[in-house]
Amino acid sequence: MSANDADQSFIQEALPAFISEAQEQIEALEQLLLQLEDQPGNRELLDALFRCAHTIKGSAGIFGLDAVVGFTHHVENLLDRLREGQLQLSPDLSTLLLQCNDQIRALVDEAQHPGSDSAEARARREALVQRLQAAAGAAGDGAAAGAAPVADPGDVPASQRRWRLHVRFGADTFRNGMDPLSILGYLRGLGSLHGTVCDLDAVPRLEALDAESCHLVIDTLLDSAAAREQIEGAFSFVREDIDLELAELAEQQREAAARIEAMPDSVRLGDILASAGAISRPRLQQGLQAQAQAASQGETLPLGEVLQTRAGVGEQVISAALRKQQNLRESGNAAPADDQRFIRVQADRLDAVMNLLGELVIASAGATALARASRQPSLVEANQQIGALVEEIRNSTLQLRMVPIGETFSRFRRVVRDTAAELQKDVALEIVGGDTELDKSVVERIADPLMHLVRNALDHGLETAEQRTAAGKPPRGRLTLAACHESGSILIRISDDGRGIARQKVLERAWERGLLEHGSVPDDAAILNLIFEPGFSTAEKVTNLSGRGVGMDVVRRNIEALRGSVTIASEAGQGSCIEIRLPLTLAIIDGFLVGVGPSKFIFPLDAVDEVIENRPTASGLDGAGRGRVELRGQVLPVVSLRALYALDSPPPERSSVVVIRSGGRRFGVLVDQLLGQHQTVIKPLARMFRSLRGMSGSSILGNGEVALIFDVHSLCQLAERPPGTPVRHSTHGIQATADLS
Amino acid sequence: MNDQLALPAELTIYSAAELRRQLLAHVDAHAQDEVCRVDGAAVDQVDAAGLQLLVSLARTLAPLGRTLRLDRPSAALVAACETLGLTSSLIEAMPERAQA
Repeated sequence: MSANDADQSFIQEALPAFISEAQEQIEALEQLLLQLEDQPGNRELLDALFRCAHTIKGSAGIFGLDAVVGFTHHVENLLDRLREGQLQLSPDLSTLLLQCNDQIRALVDEAQHPGSDSAEARARREALVQRLQAAAGAAGDGAAAGAAPVADPGDVPASQRRWRLHVRFGADTFRNGMDPLSILGYLRGLGSLHGTVCDLDAVPRLEALDAESCHLVIDTLLDSAAAREQIEGAFSFVREDIDLELAELAEQQREAAARIEAMPDSVRLGDILASAGAISRPRLQQGLQAQAQAASQGETLPLGEVLQTRAGVGEQVISAALRKQQNLRESGNAAPADDQRFIRVQADRLDAVMNLLGELVIASAGATALARASRQPSLVEANQQIGALVEEIRNSTLQLRMVPIGETFSRFRRVVRDTAAELQKDVALEIVGGDTELDKSVVERIADPLMHLVRNALDHGLETAEQRTAAGKPPRGRLTLAACHESGSILIRISDDGRGIARQKVLERAWERGLLEHGSVPDDAAILNLIFEPGFSTAEKVTNLSGRGVGMDVVRRNIEALRGSVTIASEAGQGSCIEIRLPLTLAIIDGFLVGVGPSKFIFPLDAVDEVIENRPTASGLDGAGRGRVELRGQVLPVVSLRALYALDSPPPERSSVVVIRSGGRRFGVLVDQLLGQHQTVIKPLARMFRSLRGMSGSSILGNGEVALIFDVHSLCQLAERPPGTPVRHSTHGIQATADLS
Repeated sequence: MNDQLALPAELTIYSAAELRRQLLAHVDAHAQDEVCRVDGAAVDQVDAAGLQLLVSLARTLAPLGRTLRLDRPSAALVAACETLGLTSSLIEAMPERAQA
């Protein structure tokens, strides 16, 4: 925008923040559009929709992203028509707007990675613009960016407040690449601007004018539901050289409304009103009594109404309080443009804190051990105190990484909508427990498996409307995504009311594929679990959505890689329910510590089935340390860690076997010592260990020793390799011999 | 018919310094004309710096007893004036004052 390098670098720095915010707005836009499909004509949704588009356009304008501004402007025009009730949202229109939203997303991505905008993309955009214009019924007014219609001045709607803005822009505003025009455009995204006046006298005459200095002084009124910070936010990029007076045109009631906005959370309307000073406690009591009286006569009177008629509380105050209450109830659901309560933190900073914290846990364990050894009671006590605090910090830091799963869930609304349309099915998606929190890294990694399961349910589980009607079910299928916490882990449930899983078909397929001995019929749960076996697919026809037979086993593997588990239940004709259990965090696990010679290793405790202690060291291992032991009459494959990782220490006379379960298979691992359960702080593997197979991370023990953490799944694969294949690219190869006895 | 100065397609900070010189020259060259005419038909991109220039031009003319007349303002120009609260002073009022 400006020749000035400093400005360029400023924009470079601020751009990622814009992009991440724009992406959130785009996400919110999509959700709003999808919600609107269910409740067309909902004015609040329409307003929020318009605000989102406006915010994107406005902030893109600040960054001079003309393509985004230009395109979004057309979208905004159409949204304005919808908002004004001049147009009704039809399914076609909704589809068009969703496509446009995809286009905005692409344009914002383009801002991030310039040069990816192809002629094809431009043509597609052009076509969309034409459709938008045709839909808005106003083809080609030629208005350029920033030319949205100005709202009429008039009475302030109850939910909004009227602000007076007096802005004196700094002389360097233009030189810094900022345009007051875009800033006003952004403000218009927050509400309606009117009575804008530019102080002509502040501008010098041509002879005296430095054309690149800004002399503009603007005075305007803004009717907006936005908070003061949001309005001030419009000026955040020019804050340093600006003179901004922002005053609310407030009567006393408006002030009360503002206090309500700023109040701490409380869900009782009366409490909200009383603590904002809008009503006295005795009067509130009266109101509550009146309400109770009405209730005893079988009438339900909303408290807001009672207080308005009896206690003379202004409608405006009540509606502010109701809004507050509503927000509190809905918090967790998408609340667009209401992110004032959050601060944005880069994920890697959190990770850095988490890493340090891991160090702290380890150091504190070391200190405690030393203190104990010193036998000084006061030192021991002091250390215990530190230990308790460290524990607390650990827990609250883990809490910082927790994010609600709702965002991931709501991404599926679009998937369900589009996929159902493609398959010509009618499906309603229900989301339950979207505010359930789990670790950010788990959320990120669960999205793909979930996507697969959702598609599977849409494709195979749910029937078409005709089939459903014929089966005596409501024509509209139901798909539910639910989440809740359950005993230290999170439980995600994907259920549908479709046709369920045909056990006979599963059996036949399993026999055919050799997954089961022909004719054998295991119990129900085992039959259902067969669909998670590699190479299994019952789809009668392969669609492009799912059913390529590479699905469910990959899903299970991914979930198990997160140390989770997946189970399925199904009732023929009634639907299926898949339950995924995941740990709340990946940063700290319960581990099981073992020793081989001087080396220490950790298994995730969940993967350990049982241990066989202190038995004579197995004989008959092959060159790669593989062999078999007998366990309660069954043959269990075992692998020796000493041989697998070419550890040099001499084998002891007696050793132990840790029985590990992975993906339905069991195998034993030969170790020297069992050291028991261990709270394990997972640290990434150092680079030199990255090529080491079978390991997922490392951990530092209280005495400073390093232990390697097994990735049970890949260890299982290693254990199953045919003999003779090298385990790693080691210069000295596998030195230990099979001679362990 | 007065000579008109056609505003460029880009009425922005990038062309502001150059345009200021042109406007000054235009004002001087037509010192006798009561109405100073500027044609806005070609304007495609506008920013506040561009508008500020027009305000400055109007301010220059006023004490000389002259008026600015913005002819055929493009949609982009009209919209920008509206946003900045300049519609009355640059677009609507000028032609009327010119008549008076």
